[in-house]
Amino acid sequence: MNRVVIPISMLVVTSAFAADKLSFNRDIRPIFSENCFACHGFDAKKREAELRLDTPEGAYTAKDGVFPIKSHDLSKSEVWQRIITEDADDLMPPPKSHKKLTQAQKDTIRLWIEQGASYQKHWAFERPVDSPGATIDGLLSERLAKDRLSFAKEADRETLIRRVSFTLTGLPPTLAEVDAYLKDGNYEAMVDRYMNSPRYGEEMARHWLDVARYADTHGLHLDNERNMWAYRDWVVKAFNANLPFDQFTVWQIAGDQLPNATRDQLIATGFSRCNVTTSEGGAIDEEYRHLYAVDRAATLTTVWLGLTGGCAQCHDHKFDPLTTAEFYSLYAFFFSSADPPMDQNSNATVPYLRLPTPAQQKALDDSIAQEAAALKALDERAQKCALEEKHDSKAQTITQVIFDDVFAYGAETRNTTRNPSVWLHRPDFGARYGQRVLQLSNGQFSEENITPTLTPIVLGETPRFSIWVRLDPLNTPRAVSVELNNKRVVWGDGSAFNGSDYAQDGDVILGTLPRRGEWTQLSFDPTRVLGLKVGSRINVVSVQQFGGTAVFDRCEISGQASPAKHMLTSFAAWWKQTAAGKKHPPELPAALAKTLSAMPEKVTDVKQREALQRFYLACIAQPMNEEIAKHRLAWENARTAHAAADLAIPGTFIFRDADQPRDTFVALRGQYNKLGEKVEPATPAAFHPLKKSAPRATRLDLARWIVAPENPMTARVTVNRFWQQVFGIGLVKTSHDFGSQGEPPSHPELLDHLAVSFQKSGWNVKQLIKQLVMSKAFRQASAVESHLLSLDAENRLLARGPRIRLDAEQIRDNALFVSGLLNFDMGGRGVRPYQPPNIWEPVGYGDSNTRYYLQDHGSALYRRSLYCFLKRTAPPPFMSNFDAPNREQSCTRRERSNTPLQALQLMNDVQHFEAARALAERTIADGGEKDAEKLSWIFRVVLSRQPDSKELEFLSASLAKQRDLYLKNPQAAERAIHAGESQPRNLASAAETAAWTLIANLVLNLDETVTRN
Amino acid sequence: MNPLFESNLIQTRRQFFGHSGLRLGGLGLAYAMGADAFAASKSRVHEALPGLPHFAAKARAVIYLHMNGGPSQLDTWDYKPGLQKWYDKDLPPSVQGGQRLTGMTSKQARFPVAPSLFKFAQYGQCGRWVSELMPFTAKHVDDIALVKTVHTNAINHDPACTFVMTGREVPGYASLGSWLAYGLGSESNDLPAFVVLTPTWSAKAMAQALFTRMWSSGFLPSKFSGVALRAVGDPVLYIQNPDGVSPANRRAMLDTLAQMNAHRFEKFGDPEIQTRISQYEMAFRMQTSVPELVDLKQESQSTLDMYGPEVLKPGTFAASAILARRLVERGVRVVQVLHRGWDQHGNLPRDIRLQCRDTDQPIGALLADLKQRGLLESTLVIWGGEFGRTVYSQGGLSQTNYGRDHHPRNFCMWMAGGGIKGGVSYGESDDFSYNVATDPVHLNDINATILHQCGIDHERLSYNFQGLDARLTGVEKQSPIREILS
Repeated sequence: MNRVVIPISMLVVTSAFAADKLSFNRDIRPIFSENCFACHGFDAKKREAELRLDTPEGAYTAKDGVFPIKSHDLSKSEVWQRIITEDADDLMPPPKSHKKLTQAQKDTIRLWIEQGASYQKHWAFERPVDSPGATIDGLLSERLAKDRLSFAKEADRETLIRRVSFTLTGLPPTLAEVDAYLKDGNYEAMVDRYMNSPRYGEEMARHWLDVARYADTHGLHLDNERNMWAYRDWVVKAFNANLPFDQFTVWQIAGDQLPNATRDQLIATGFSRCNVTTSEGGAIDEEYRHLYAVDRAATLTTVWLGLTGGCAQCHDHKFDPLTTAEFYSLYAFFFSSADPPMDQNSNATVPYLRLPTPAQQKALDDSIAQEAAALKALDERAQKCALEEKHDSKAQTITQVIFDDVFAYGAETRNTTRNPSVWLHRPDFGARYGQRVLQLSNGQFSEENITPTLTPIVLGETPRFSIWVRLDPLNTPRAVSVELNNKRVVWGDGSAFNGSDYAQDGDVILGTLPRRGEWTQLSFDPTRVLGLKVGSRINVVSVQQFGGTAVFDRCEISGQASPAKHMLTSFAAWWKQTAAGKKHPPELPAALAKTLSAMPEKVTDVKQREALQRFYLACIAQPMNEEIAKHRLAWENARTAHAAADLAIPGTFIFRDADQPRDTFVALRGQYNKLGEKVEPATPAAFHPLKKSAPRATRLDLARWIVAPENPMTARVTVNRFWQQVFGIGLVKTSHDFGSQGEPPSHPELLDHLAVSFQKSGWNVKQLIKQLVMSKAFRQASAVESHLLSLDAENRLLARGPRIRLDAEQIRDNALFVSGLLNFDMGGRGVRPYQPPNIWEPVGYGDSNTRYYLQDHGSALYRRSLYCFLKRTAPPPFMSNFDAPNREQSCTRRERSNTPLQALQLMNDVQHFEAARALAERTIADGGEKDAEKLSWIFRVVLSRQPDSKELEFLSASLAKQRDLYLKNPQAAERAIHAGESQPRNLASAAETAAWTLIANLVLNLDETVTRN
Repeated sequence: MNPLFESNLIQTRRQFFGHSGLRLGGLGLAYAMGADAFAASKSRVHEALPGLPHFAAKARAVIYLHMNGGPSQLDTWDYKPGLQKWYDKDLPPSVQGGQRLTGMTSKQARFPVAPSLFKFAQYGQCGRWVSELMPFTAKHVDDIALVKTVHTNAINHDPACTFVMTGREVPGYASLGSWLAYGLGSESNDLPAFVVLTPTWSAKAMAQALFTRMWSSGFLPSKFSGVALRAVGDPVLYIQNPDGVSPANRRAMLDTLAQMNAHRFEKFGDPEIQTRISQYEMAFRMQTSVPELVDLKQESQSTLDMYGPEVLKPGTFAASAILARRLVERGVRVVQVLHRGWDQHGNLPRDIRLQCRDTDQPIGALLADLKQRGLLESTLVIWGGEFGRTVYSQGGLSQTNYGRDHHPRNFCMWMAGGGIKGGVSYGESDDFSYNVATDPVHLNDINATILHQCGIDHERLSYNFQGLDARLTGVEKQSPIREILS
């Protein structure tokens, strides 16, 4: 028999011809959906000639004696006549639609009508049914047999272990693991080992984070940092703990509504806070409240229901049974959220869950109690202390601290990040005083503005301002500066500000930049340097840096003043000055604030005056005696402890409903300000009914409805995504769309079998994944014969094993792993590895706190890619170059492109070239004596297999060539081995190490290396 | 030759040169297939989609000059002499018409009209009125079609920037340049089809952000994303060999890499391996072609002078403008230049002067340069922003200073070259440049026009996304502006 080679896209239809009877869902629906339903489908508003072809009622009912479709009768079927007519006016689809049926499609329709034109409900809306005795391999081989194909032989062990290891952990196996498996050949034990590794959760999480659109910035406008990483870490933990998928779902959609919700259940609700948000000046609240709810509802619809809900945002879905009103009924579950439409550019936009460890909570509680106790003790001492106003005393030196471990009591502060001040607690380099230092970090200008409201500053005679500074040795600023009342003193490169938004006239350049990495005290006389007058008031102190990272400690101002007039020594003077300020911080008790806001002469109540005076003596004034001094110090320390305990506690965005539900309406044509009918939270009618726990359905009702056994979609959509993860392509290729515009499954019975058994297993993810990797199909060799390639280029039928390019994170992690550089630390705030200059900078908003990329140093450079900081409006090239989505919206399927920019990155990116050097040195140290041994060793470390004789020959020749080049140019060799921040180990000459580095670079660039074979 | 290899080769050739989706290959194949294959591969690395262009294209390349932040139409192209007598008078409510305002001015007590401070004069045979801010561009008005009634859907930067480039206000859609690269491919085998430049700017105010989604491929395959050509660091990411790695080291490494990959292909037969071999060869060629591209030494002094004093300063708008020409000369399909700093809520007169000083002379030079090389007729140049600005002043108004808020209801864009009729003006705004008086043009009409000039029927260039045939120009009826086509 002559075989006709037909590409797999046609395969489904072709095989159908071989079978006796056509199936509406498999053979006809895709054709109608593509060509007819837009005008003759579900969307009543767009329906032409009142004809719908998506239901049998619509197709069979005669109008004026004309049948759209008449079973078994082509001549009486008007639809068929319109398809074959020569008359352009009557032709369907009409020429102006730019749609055209192929001859094969026409033949299929003809055959279907001849066979009786029977309809089916769209397959995905029917509940999945398991076939008796079904297995993955059984169903796959049955399908293969139809095309006279069969499984390929099993892949060799080296290939298998590398394939399994990458699939389950995102990393290659170690040599020891390869050797052990080669020896015992126990595949299942090997699978179990990887499945029980903590790396398993990391690899699984990576895929889910695309779906959840997780990132480390808000995504719109300023695109500032947000604290969300606890959600990412929870996803890792959930997969490692094998949290059943139904619970995994419920927690994320409605964890907050579970009775006695646990911390993890609350963190999980971050799923619905992962959408992009804005705080653009001028943005309209209603518009963004609407957009966020649209995103949340559409994401839910795609991720769990496999439907493209976003379409129904503007109009009834044209192809699937989802009306606009139904979409907005799903939207209603999210429209009453508690989060504000403007994120305030904060990293902690409410609702925000703080996540103290038990120890952190105890430290916080203790510190609060201690601060209160210290204040009480101080207050008691102050009560006993008589006020001594020294009317005739001589001038004395009085020092006022602006900040040390904390800001002066009651000071208001504001900084460039629009977020809380950054304090480092007990840094490794040591604080200059006490325990904490204030950090400023920005590739350009950043500042901390301090307004000392409760302790106003008035310049005394011969005043002196001083501050301690330490410049980061790796991110050294170009300049540091201080402003008093907006007059600036600069140390370092005074021209740094030129041309920026921060340039101003009259800057005083006082000195050179202090030595980096050393504590230096900067000080000056504000009257002499800035021309400020003695007796003038300093309203704002601003501490600044330009172009790097600097930390600051004890900032103070001193001067000679008569105690009778100074605010720290004269209650009357203080009251008068402070009352004039009129701004009082929240720390000040209300009664005192009221007294203080009035001028002294207006307050006649003695009790009130005494209370304020006592507060003054306790908290503000220069201590009147030793006892107060001692207790003041204790109180300051307690305040520091409290602030430090508070700052140490991380947090994450969580989802909650507002106290009062908002009325929700259909937004006509998707426009937030054109409202249609009012809707209540509800689920689409095409599905099973929603069980409501209250008159107004809750998100928890929705979540339970999603994982209810009656739901035909959730299990199918989920197993399909896992299948895609393991085999590289889903059984339903359009893993985001199971509707009639999506592709039908290549193996419907297999999809149903997996969906049913997944539900029966209690939604056991590890069991499912194991089932997939244990299958014969997964274990096949992946070499492809040409006839098979032309028949099934995408490998939908699986007559060979999956062979796919590694994902972005896997490629980077692989290089770090084989070179021995990988840092396995898990969790925490996103790290910033190497990144070329000018990725963030040319696009970022002026003072966004993610405009300037400040790279991390040390071991953070080698963390797994999952933990790298992801800025949405300018994602890291190691991700975007290799098709990782920018996480602006949910993504269920990545592409696998193959571009020259990828080649450039793998060859030249410092992360990869440094890894090559480290791998070269591993080879020199551990690879054996002879070159051939070393070459085999490096090849095996990266590819888990021995090179064949040809490969060894190629590599040997290349090594000889590189050696030759570097022996002639040892200086170049020296430079080549110094890529990156880790230092070479000097195990061989620079030329030898450099030559091996190029070999490692070569091996890391092999097609096989970046491929799961 | 190994028979398996041979049959794969046939298949691979089909994949590379036919229309089966893999639109890569080209020169690098010569490496694996011998000189014959090379000779046969006259086809391009980035091929056009089958059936494209839909009709003969007027423009072979597009240079899109985007003034990010929203340039004021009132101070540049929309001449309203009648406004002088309205100085500091309230904008009549009938003109304002209760339309929505941004949160920045919606609570303003009054809306005082701020006539432009800048003098306008007539230029060219067509007698176009142009502001004194743009004397160099003004010399080319006879080549320019001005559209004065562009309107957009969004009123704030993030959604408006997203809209102007992708036709949608929310992230996730494909950018104009990606659509063109996807549909038409590129004529360069050594450079990407779609290149983006983000020059420096001079305005003092806090500059609005750009977003990579303005040049990303959205739902289209990611290889159609714009490639940023950078002024700091490597012009193309990772184009330079690491320090201490010479071209000889690299060549030796690549030779072995190709041998080993080809060896692997013989065993595995996966055409992706062949593609990878060719991509490494293209990467190697780019290591030469990109430095050559950004090296302005071959430019004559008179050409350099034309672009102004900043042309040799990397990263300036002038440097970007001349690079745009060099890219187009080398067959790049789309060059997008995004100049920041046009969001002038306050101190508009000072800042717009600085912005025009950055851009005007280079734009004039670009048009002249393209023309003198005979490239203008096949290169469509577009100038615009994400929206315009209000006639009323935001914040204080004085004789010498004012600011303007965002205004999406009507603003100016212009096009030149690429089959555009010069010397015409289309559409009129009302006396206050606050509403469209005649001939409204939606941004999607602008995009439809751009596609049309490139030989694309905007209704027929679509991509299945979320079950819909997504198009750049959206679902509403849009059409090219026939009146400005030559």
